[in-house]
Amino acid sequence: MTRARRWGAGLALTWLLLLLAVALTVPYLPLAFSPDTVDLTNIAMPPQVSQFSHPGHLLGTDPYGRDVLTALLYGTRTALLVSLPAALLAALAGISSGSSAGFWGNSGLRVKTGWLVAAGAAVLFTLAALPCYWGSYRMLYLLAIPTGFFMVGGILLQVKRLSAPVPIPLDSLLQACITLVSSIPRLVLVLALAAVVEPSLPTLVLVLALSSWVGTARLVRAEVARVRQLPYLEAARAAGIPELRLLVRHVLPNALRPVKTSFPLSIAGLIGLETTLSFLGVGLPPEVPSWGRTLALVRLTPTAWWLVVFPVLLILLTTLALQQLASRPRG
Amino acid sequence: MGIYLWRRVVVLVPTAWLVLSLIFLLSRGLGAAPPLPSLEADAIGLTDPTSQRRATEQRMRHRYGLDAPLFYITLERSYLNPNAARRWQWHGTANQYHSWVKQLSRGDFGFSYRDSKPVTSVLLDSLRHTLPLTVGAAVLATTLALALGVFTRPRWQAALRSILSLLDILPLFVVALLLLLLLANPDVLAWFPAYGEGRIATEAVWWQQLGTYLYYLALPLACLVLVTTPGLALQLDAALQHELGQAYATTARAKGLSTSRVQQKHALRNAWLPFLTVLAELLPALVAGTVVVETVFARPGMGRALAEAAAARDFPVLLAGVLLLATIRLAAYILTDWLYQLADPRLRPAS
Repeated sequence: MTRARRWGAGLALTWLLLLLAVALTVPYLPLAFSPDTVDLTNIAMPPQVSQFSHPGHLLGTDPYGRDVLTALLYGTRTALLVSLPAALLAALAGISSGSSAGFWGNSGLRVKTGWLVAAGAAVLFTLAALPCYWGSYRMLYLLAIPTGFFMVGGILLQVKRLSAPVPIPLDSLLQACITLVSSIPRLVLVLALAAVVEPSLPTLVLVLALSSWVGTARLVRAEVARVRQLPYLEAARAAGIPELRLLVRHVLPNALRPVKTSFPLSIAGLIGLETTLSFLGVGLPPEVPSWGRTLALVRLTPTAWWLVVFPVLLILLTTLALQQLASRPRG
Repeated sequence: MGIYLWRRVVVLVPTAWLVLSLIFLLSRGLGAAPPLPSLEADAIGLTDPTSQRRATEQRMRHRYGLDAPLFYITLERSYLNPNAARRWQWHGTANQYHSWVKQLSRGDFGFSYRDSKPVTSVLLDSLRHTLPLTVGAAVLATTLALALGVFTRPRWQAALRSILSLLDILPLFVVALLLLLLLANPDVLAWFPAYGEGRIATEAVWWQQLGTYLYYLALPLACLVLVTTPGLALQLDAALQHELGQAYATTARAKGLSTSRVQQKHALRNAWLPFLTVLAELLPALVAGTVVVETVFARPGMGRALAEAAAARDFPVLLAGVLLLATIRLAAYILTDWLYQLADPRLRPAS
């Protein structure tokens, strides 16, 4: 690693840690204004120097008289609260689905037909019964379902034709799910879903995760399918290691390398997507401060450069830092 | 048309349909009350706040077909005993989903919740404004990517690559706002108009009209091109580098051809194929990009219609927009398939 690269990586890490620290401690920071203070005497003011006697708006105010610095600091918290859980959820979903599809393919995983039928019946039954009994003591009835599953499965296995194992087409299933999510451009899908559900933080995280697991799944699937062919796996299989352990302990550690690169980039993408949604006025309730919300206000006051420069600087630096983290050569 | 294309179409149509149905069901099921035009209700509500208003609302819901059950089977609470567990109930074809599908099959997208205009006319009108922007951006971005990938000196390539990969990761609206702030701002450089499409005087000569139109189009177009070119150029570059590492490229060099000739005459043709796959995604991505660009530059069009429909929860417009996008993607696939056959004779059906 050259000296310049090491400097870059150090700077990037420092910046990200700073953001994290701000996000964690922002309610306790000695800020002059609270995020919902409306200062009607100072509407859309450019940045001013703070005096000792009375606090000024260091980064100016927006057209509603809210302090931009405070909004941005609280916005950091929102950006991390949305993008980190969404990225983690998406990575988890992508890794588990992609690795199982890559490892077992369309024919590797075989399940006895009896169990399959029983599981299908159990899922259907749960889906039909759960909303009926939701929130009442009758939900306890649902405890009977697992027992029923084992009983029905056991009985079905006695029939000769149902005891033969059938392959589960995991790979085709994954491909179908991927086509489903990517049949519409991501921004429009998220826009439509975010408009449909109630605007709140958890739903936004779910919507974002739902739209962004696809990339990780593709990467992991390809990598697992490559690693699966390697000779050391044949050796491990010959040693009699069970399939699931083979996947988790022997294949995954080698197959997760591309995810380490794509994960910071996916966080950057999600921060971009979240700010875009807030900019368009969809996704988060309007009282939640976010970088995109501050940026959107420039449409009310086109000459207020401070409403653009500071949030854009934040987004730019964060994106650059995450990109730097992703491109760091692994030693 | 190849079997490859048909497989794609066969997969894409039902999946797009599924997504559309899902959004429809969610919009009707979760969004407790769509924001119906409430002028009438408010006017009456002044005199009698409760009973008449409720009656008006009921009438509105009936007019938009929102009082029917949502789907073929729904969970219904028993009328006789509201405390009893809810039950699944079969409604037959008298439900919102069925009538929506029937409407769609007749090409009727319903009426906008916001201004009660027919959705078809809203979308067609906005498409007229959006198509020049997206098609222009697609052509420009492709040309630019080709120029960057093929004709740059090797000396510049490293610097170019890092600039491109930075641009690649910036959100579109950041680029748009920066351009707006730098080039359409009286405080910095007021080279371009900031808003709208420009009012074109009807008595002006055609080239004056075109000039005004292009003048107003320039910044939005530049945004889309700036954001989409890097991805394309990087992809083409990667494909070209791969092809130049192949044995036939080395042979061509050994024969005494210059590097640029090998690149342009030998490697490019093969690098086209992976590049085309990216091109298929370009047009839908550009239409999605107009959501941001048209909002920032306040141009009427498809993207702004979608963004405003999403913000105002105008579901008929939103659903029709999503359907239109799925169609555009389908069209892009068909176009790419044709280009594939043009680029690679092996893919042409035997005549």
